[in-house]
Amino acid sequence: MKLNVEWLKEVLPKIPSSTKLCDKLTSIGLEVSNFKKSKLGSIIDIDITPNRPDCLSISGIARDLSTAYRQNTLTLKTANTKIQKSNNIIKSVDKKISPIYTCLQINGINNKIKTPILIKNRLKSCGITSINLIVDILNYVMIELGQPFHAFDSDTLNGKLTVRFSKKNEKIIALNDKKYTLKQDTPVISDNTTIQAIAGIIGSIDSSVNTASKNIIIECAHFLPELIRATSKEYRVQTDSSYRFERGVDPSTHEYTLLRILYLINKFTTYQDIKICNHSDKSFNKSRKRKINFNTKQVNRILGKKISNSEIKNIFKFLGFNSNQSKDKFTITVPTYRFDISNEYDLLEELARIIGFDEFKPQTTLSKHIDSKIKPIICTSRKIIPSLVSRGYNEIKSYSFLPKEYQEKFVSKQSINIIQNPISEDKAEMRTSLIPSLVKTYQYNSNRQHNNVKIFEIGNIYQRDSKGKIVETNNIAGLISGQSSEASLKLDSTTLDFYDLKGDLISILPTIIFKKATKSKFFDTEVQASINLNNKQIGFCGEVSNLLCKTESVENKIYAFEIALNQEIFPENIKYTQISQFPKIRRDLTILIDDKIPGNDIIDIIIKQGYKYLINIKINDVFYDRKFDETKKSISLEFMFQNKNSTLVDTDVNFVMNKVLKLLQKEFNAKLRA
Amino acid sequence: MAPLSKKFSFLITEFKNKLEECNSYNDLILLKSNYLGKKGKVTLEFNKIKELKVEDRKNIGQDLNSVKTEISSLIDDAILQSKNKKSLTTASNFFDVTLPGKNIGHGSRHPISLTLESIETILAHYGFISVDGPEIENDFFNFEALNIPKNHPARDMHDTFYLNDKMLLRTHTSSVQIHTMLNEKPPIKIMTPGKVYRCDSDPTHSPMFHQVEGLYVDRNVNFCHLKGLLIKFLQEFFNNEKMEIRFRPSYFPFTEPSAEIDIKFKGKWLEVLGCGMVHPNVLTNVGINHKKYSGYAFGIGVERLAMLKFGITDLKVFFENDITFLSQFSDIR
Repeated sequence: MKLNVEWLKEVLPKIPSSTKLCDKLTSIGLEVSNFKKSKLGSIIDIDITPNRPDCLSISGIARDLSTAYRQNTLTLKTANTKIQKSNNIIKSVDKKISPIYTCLQINGINNKIKTPILIKNRLKSCGITSINLIVDILNYVMIELGQPFHAFDSDTLNGKLTVRFSKKNEKIIALNDKKYTLKQDTPVISDNTTIQAIAGIIGSIDSSVNTASKNIIIECAHFLPELIRATSKEYRVQTDSSYRFERGVDPSTHEYTLLRILYLINKFTTYQDIKICNHSDKSFNKSRKRKINFNTKQVNRILGKKISNSEIKNIFKFLGFNSNQSKDKFTITVPTYRFDISNEYDLLEELARIIGFDEFKPQTTLSKHIDSKIKPIICTSRKIIPSLVSRGYNEIKSYSFLPKEYQEKFVSKQSINIIQNPISEDKAEMRTSLIPSLVKTYQYNSNRQHNNVKIFEIGNIYQRDSKGKIVETNNIAGLISGQSSEASLKLDSTTLDFYDLKGDLISILPTIIFKKATKSKFFDTEVQASINLNNKQIGFCGEVSNLLCKTESVENKIYAFEIALNQEIFPENIKYTQISQFPKIRRDLTILIDDKIPGNDIIDIIIKQGYKYLINIKINDVFYDRKFDETKKSISLEFMFQNKNSTLVDTDVNFVMNKVLKLLQKEFNAKLRA
Repeated sequence: MAPLSKKFSFLITEFKNKLEECNSYNDLILLKSNYLGKKGKVTLEFNKIKELKVEDRKNIGQDLNSVKTEISSLIDDAILQSKNKKSLTTASNFFDVTLPGKNIGHGSRHPISLTLESIETILAHYGFISVDGPEIENDFFNFEALNIPKNHPARDMHDTFYLNDKMLLRTHTSSVQIHTMLNEKPPIKIMTPGKVYRCDSDPTHSPMFHQVEGLYVDRNVNFCHLKGLLIKFLQEFFNNEKMEIRFRPSYFPFTEPSAEIDIKFKGKWLEVLGCGMVHPNVLTNVGINHKKYSGYAFGIGVERLAMLKFGITDLKVFFENDITFLSQFSDIR
């Protein structure tokens, strides 16, 4: 809402300088977003919140300011005319559209007169273009009093006006030059044959008033806000009129606003005769008279500050709230322009904003811990993040969206959540994995000469279960590609591969187990594994598939993992084992073995035997030697022995090592390497 | 000195061969123990001296000692060399402290995560417990329960992504507050960090952004407590006790009174968060007696605070994830 300060002075003459005025407006909840002085006057831009349609007018803002300054407003001049009633203007009014509907018929008006420059300029300062005298006066009074009007050229009408719901496929060419084919039950104003307006939103071009119009009907209505809002959304038309109606326009000032119009018409032009017609729903008028019981004890309870009863009464008076007081109890009658006031709390807010939020002293005494059974989020990610970061990973945050039909290639269509009204085609589906986002981010960086990339993201993925229910899971995913690090002093940089990824994962989540996997969502080569915890799969990792790489035009090899975080991954507790005081003995064993035997199978079978004193075993090295059979590989195993109770002797260890060798010979046809 | 017996000179030759084969520091240590350890070959020879005739003992002993000395010095030299092989500190007489460290490279946290974490840390200090909830919601949790009925103009403040007639992407994390209040009894003191979505994309709006909302419902919670908490919060977050903070009336359907908080930043008031006393209708909707309990709620825009804290002017950079951008935050742990 643009507020012209000079215009405001007509109803509130004693106002301070514009800067102070702006501060005051903001402090009472009418936030000033801009202020400028121009040829048209000092213009203040105010962001009126949706709950305050009563401030979409000069008089409404003046009322709030008058309360803030405890200063009375002046009344605008109105015509002192008695208007004859007529039944020849309105045929019928559907109360479900407009509970109060008033029309003023003016015959023989001279609309050829030019709009006075003051009115033109004031309208312009509020962003409204001058059209002709009558339309300008209607807009002028709308800005002054907040009531939108519409004018029909009655010579173009075929019979009386009807306020009704439309039939299907009725048509209207509106003032914005657009043709609308109406759906059934659109609220409209029609004559006997034709739709003349979409109620409260826009009129037809045919019946609009122009300078040649002689006989006119001015509509002053109260349309039901929800209906106007739904209709405005349906046909995507928003006008100054619909904007006000959908928020709420005071239903009890029709006569007053029409007399104000008449005053201006009398002042600037001439007419022959006028008639008025009003249809109103009595039950609606009754329902508008709301009373609220207000206990001033609530002020201290909710606002934390005592306000004297006399001050409360005074504030209510200026805001136009009639009050009946008996000690701490007030009975408040809510004025018809305040649609937002319906309970005690609404009144508290009025008091707080008028007094000013600065008057409420901040208190921190209640900033304390409380007894609560609420369980906090499982924060597995917090434990993982520092480890990943210290291993060189950059954390990313990407959109939860993926391009339309993108996931169909990788995931079954049924499990995807599609957005009905996406912001763009490339953000049209909710992602079912974080990996595509990582690949996109890799490509973005690769295009910017970052080829050594280690990134990760934590975020939800969105899937549907077999019954179609939406399931959200918090996941962590990472991606690596390029060189292990910038080559530096004595540190060789190597090309990152699957085992770098696996090493990183083992270091952050030591208890996970990797198992051979086939064809996961985003992997198509052998280089992939499932990630398991306590015999349950919690994720997967591997070399990202050609298909996904091609989709994102990635040329280099990239490796990625994804793990679900919706469980406790780390053990809650660890039981201490006594440290042995006796020395350890280390033994190495290198065997030649068939290439296709997984390294871990060797470890597993040795551990299964439960050899005495063997406390640890690991694979030290794997290498291929052309001198030997090409279908064989050499594996070096490192054994560690220790006795808890005494010093180990060589013979104990040799005994076990012999057994190990025999076992490996038998199980895997292994040969000892010299 | 007389030449060593054949037996002992073989011991040294054998040792020298094995020394050649050593590839690592560990190999050397193992070799040393195989010769000079308790069960080592040289040690075993010494043990045999006792069994010799007395007159032979002296010569053999001397020979063994020189074998031991030679092996010791060879192996110790090799160990030392192996140790120093990679150590620049001893290769030259000049110690250059300015050479780069052997750094494998440190990654970074995303500035939004860093901001989220510092918000949560401060609020946790004031007793707020972190809870989360689904990002895909239905109308009840995102709107109805929060006193935003259908066809209410306040819905214009929330351009909403819809998955179908019933499901939508939450436009604020207030929906989590409804879940919590339906499941728990007061006192309730929670914060709800998370992603939220609005169907809006321009230089100042992102279709996805992050929020932390706070809710405190208890007996006798009032507006002055809300002010107290949020002033403290902003001062701590920006590490500036003299920060100018302004509360001004605003409108949210789920709070009453509602306030918007501005901070003075480079001479201008900037909106940083919205708050208010929980609307009695919201309490009623979740079965909490508003005559007995009152509460306050607030919503913090994480991107906004991150931009102010780090001096970022373009919302877009958060989600582009350029490594040059991300790496700028690697010094914060």
